Amino acid sequence: MAGATRSQLVEGDTTVTDAVAGATVGLSAILFALAVAALFERVNLTGTVAGLSTVTLLGGLLIGLGVAVSVFGLGSRFGYVETDPDASAGLIAGLGAAVPWFVVGGGVASQTLGFGTVGGVVGGLLVGGLTFAATAVPREDVGSTVPLGALLVLVGAVFLTGTIDPAWIWNLGWEQQASITAEFLVPTATLFCSLYGGWAAAKAYGRFGARGRHMGAYVLIYVNALSIVAFLFILIAFVVVQGVSGLLNGAQVGVGVGPQVFGAVELPVYVPFVMNGVALLNDFQGVLPAIVGTIWLVVGAVLFAVPLGVGAAIFLTEYAERGRFTQIVEVSTNGLWSTPSIVFGLFGFAFLIPRFGNRKSLLAGMLTLGFMLLPLVLITSREAMIAVPDEYRDASAALGVPKWQTIRSVVLPAALPGVVTGVILGVGRIAGETAPILLTMAGGTFVPGGQTVDVIGGFEFTAAPPFVANPELLQATSALPYQLYALITAGVGLGSNVTDPDGFRWATALVLLVVVLSFYAIGIGARYYFRQRLRHE
Amino acid sequence: MSDSQQTQPQSQTRTKTTGSDQPLETTSGETVEETRDEWTEYNFDGEAKMVAEDLDVYYGDDHALKSVSMEIPEQSVTALIGPSGCGKSTYLRCLNRMNDRINAASVDGSVQLDGNEIYQDGINLVELRKRVGMVFQSPNPFPKSIRDNIAYGPRKHGDINTGLLARLLGRDDSEAERELVERALKQAALWDEVHDRMDDNALGLSGGQQQRLCIARCLSVDPEVILMDEPASALDPIATAKIEDLIHDLAEEYTVVIVTHNMQQAARISDQTAVFLTGGKLVEYDDTDRIFENPQSQRVEDYISGKFG
Repeated sequence: MAGATRSQLVEGDTTVTDAVAGATVGLSAILFALAVAALFERVNLTGTVAGLSTVTLLGGLLIGLGVAVSVFGLGSRFGYVETDPDASAGLIAGLGAAVPWFVVGGGVASQTLGFGTVGGVVGGLLVGGLTFAATAVPREDVGSTVPLGALLVLVGAVFLTGTIDPAWIWNLGWEQQASITAEFLVPTATLFCSLYGGWAAAKAYGRFGARGRHMGAYVLIYVNALSIVAFLFILIAFVVVQGVSGLLNGAQVGVGVGPQVFGAVELPVYVPFVMNGVALLNDFQGVLPAIVGTIWLVVGAVLFAVPLGVGAAIFLTEYAERGRFTQIVEVSTNGLWSTPSIVFGLFGFAFLIPRFGNRKSLLAGMLTLGFMLLPLVLITSREAMIAVPDEYRDASAALGVPKWQTIRSVVLPAALPGVVTGVILGVGRIAGETAPILLTMAGGTFVPGGQTVDVIGGFEFTAAPPFVANPELLQATSALPYQLYALITAGVGLGSNVTDPDGFRWATALVLLVVVLSFYAIGIGARYYFRQRLRHE
Repeated sequence: MSDSQQTQPQSQTRTKTTGSDQPLETTSGETVEETRDEWTEYNFDGEAKMVAEDLDVYYGDDHALKSVSMEIPEQSVTALIGPSGCGKSTYLRCLNRMNDRINAASVDGSVQLDGNEIYQDGINLVELRKRVGMVFQSPNPFPKSIRDNIAYGPRKHGDINTGLLARLLGRDDSEAERELVERALKQAALWDEVHDRMDDNALGLSGGQQQRLCIARCLSVDPEVILMDEPASALDPIATAKIEDLIHDLAEEYTVVIVTHNMQQAARISDQTAVFLTGGKLVEYDDTDRIFENPQSQRVEDYISGKFG
C-alpha cells in the first residue's frame, strides 16, 4: 500500500471554494432554465430580460460560467484550491468535450471559412481531436474544465458580439427548404453549454477525483429526471394555456345560471363549451355530445373487455396446464397488443358494422375498442395472478376449500390492484384512439346538443324477443379524439357558426386531456382502494 | 486453522462408512443385514388414526419415498425427523393428498384414515382436508383481517352464513361465527393477544403470532388430524416455545403429525418418532424415548448423535 496517495480524511477550511463552486453550479442551472424557457418561447429572444437583451444576457452568462469553470480548474492545477484530482479526466469526458468542439470546428471550417463539406469534416476532426487530447492528457482538474470553459466562452462571445443575433438564419440549401434559425439555435446551444458547464462545475464542487465524478454524474442524472417531469408539465400547461380561453368562453357562475340536471336541480355554474352542442341559435358552441360519446365509449369497452380478459387470465393461470397451449396464447396476446389500432378499426368496419344495422354506431366503437383493450387486460391480469403467492392457494386447499372458491376469495382480491393497473394503462391508450372510431362510430363533427347519446335512457322494452332494445347504442355519435382530428387535420366544419375556430380546437384538446386524466384518476383511486383493503381490512 | 476445518467432514464420512455401510459389505448374510436396517414395527396401545402401507411417491423419475408403512396412533404427537430431502415432508403431504397439487408427483400405495382408504376414486377431497388439516413451514395468513382468516374455512364450507343475503333471509350466524373464532383463537393461545383487534390485517402480526393464527385457522374447520410441516423453523426461540406448548396441548384432543429438522424439538414434544434417512426410506419408528436413548439402527444413532446429516 506504499504507492497509494492519501487525501485528507477531513477536508480543511474551504467554505469560500465551496461557495464559489456551488454558485457556478447554480449559474448553470439558471442558464438551463433560461434556455428551456427560450426554447418553448416563454422568453422572447428579441425582447429583454432584466433590462438586457435576451441574447446579450445569455452570452454574458455563458462567458461568466466558462471563465469561472476554467479559473477553478487552473486554480486547482497551480495549487490555489485544495483538490483531489485523478491523473486524467478519462475517455468519456474526452469524447464528451470533443463532440461540441467537432461541431464548432466543422461549422466554422465549412461555412465561415468556406472549405466545403470535406474541409468541414477535416476541420471538425482536427478541432475535436485537439480537444480530446486537451481533455484526456492533462491532469483531471485542467482537462475536465478548461476545454469546456473555452467552449462556453466562445459561444458566449458569439452571442455577445452579435455574430448570431435574433434575426440570424442559416439556410441549409436543401430541397425541403430547411433552415436553422436563431430562435432554435440560440436556446439549444445555451442548453447544451449550460449542461456542460454544470457538469464541469459539479466536478469542481466535488473537488474532482472519484467524488467529483460522482457529483458530475449526479447533476446530469438529476437534470435528466427533472427535465422529463418538466416536459410533462410544460406539455399539460401548454394545452391548458391555449385551451382555457375557449373552454371558459361564455362561462357564468351564479345561482340558477346552469342547465337543469336530473329534472330539477339547477347547476350553479354554466360552462357552455362542455354543456352545449353546436346549434345555429346558440350564443356559445360546445362539445357536449363528443364528451358523452367518449365517456360511453370507454365505459363500454371496459365493461366488455375486463370480464373477458380477467376470465381468460383465470383460466390460463389457475386451470390450464403450462405448456404449448398457454405459450401460444401468450405469444398471440402480446402480438394482439402490438397490433396497430387502424387494423382493429378495419376489423370493426368489416366485421362488426354489417352486423349492427350496417352503419357506424356507438356499439361497434365500444366493441372495437374493447377488443383493443382485451390483450392488455389479459396480460396484466395474468401477471398479477402469477404474482399471488402459492402459499395462499396451499393454505386454502389445506382447509378443504374448492378451487373456484379459493380463486374468488383469495386469488382475485390479491390480484385486483394489478388488474386495475392494466385497465388504467389500457384506458389511457383507447380513450385517445382516433383511427378505430373513425371507421366504426364517428358521427358528425359539430353535433347539436340534442343528439347527445343517452345510453341509459335509450333502453326500451319491446314485445318481441329479445324484449329489450337500445337505438341509442346503434347510432353514430361523436367522440373527442375524432372531433379533434376532423377539426384540425381534415378541416371539417370550419366556417360553421364557430366564431373562433382555433380556440375551439384548443379547448377540445384540453377537454380530451381532462377526460383521459379523469379516467386515470379514477383508476388510480380504485387501485389505492383495493391495495388498502389488502393491507388494512 | 483452515486445516482443521477441512479434516472434520472427512472424519464424519469415515464414521458413517464404518457405521452403516460396513455390515452391508460383509459377504455373509447380506439380506439379513439389509432387513435389520429397518425397525418400523411399532406396537402401541390404542387405536391407529392413520395407516400408511407400502407408500411410494415419485416426482417424475425421482423416487422420493420408498415403500413406507407406518401407523399413526390417535391423540398423540408423532414426529418425523431426518436430513433434508429424506422424504419426510413428502410423506406428510401424502396424508391429506396435498401432493395432488404437484403435477409431477405420483403416489402408489395405501393410506387409510379411520380405516377408510383415501387413495381411491370418489374420495371427497374437501371432506378429507377438513378432517386432516395442515400447517405450513412459513406462516401464510391470507391478506385479510384476523377474523376473516379464522372464519374463512367455515364460511366457504357453508357452515356459517353471514352477509347481506343471510341477514335478509334471517339466517345470520354472526353470533356463531364470533364463538367459533374465539374458540379457535383460544385453542391456539392467541386470543389474549388479538381479541381487541380482530379487524386488523393478519399480515400486521408478528411471525410467531401469524403461525399461531394459521394453527387457529386450521382448527376452525374442526379437524381430527393436524399435519405440521416444520411449523417453527421460521420463528425465534420464544415463539417456538409457544408453538411447542401449543402442540403439546393440542395432542389431548387431536392427532398431531409434525415434521421437524430440530431433534431437540422432536424429543421435547413428541410421543413417538419416525426417522427417515436419505433415499426416502423410513428407517426406524418407535417411542421417542427409545429412539433418542437406545436406537436400534446404527445409522439412526449416528444421525441422532450428530455424526452425519
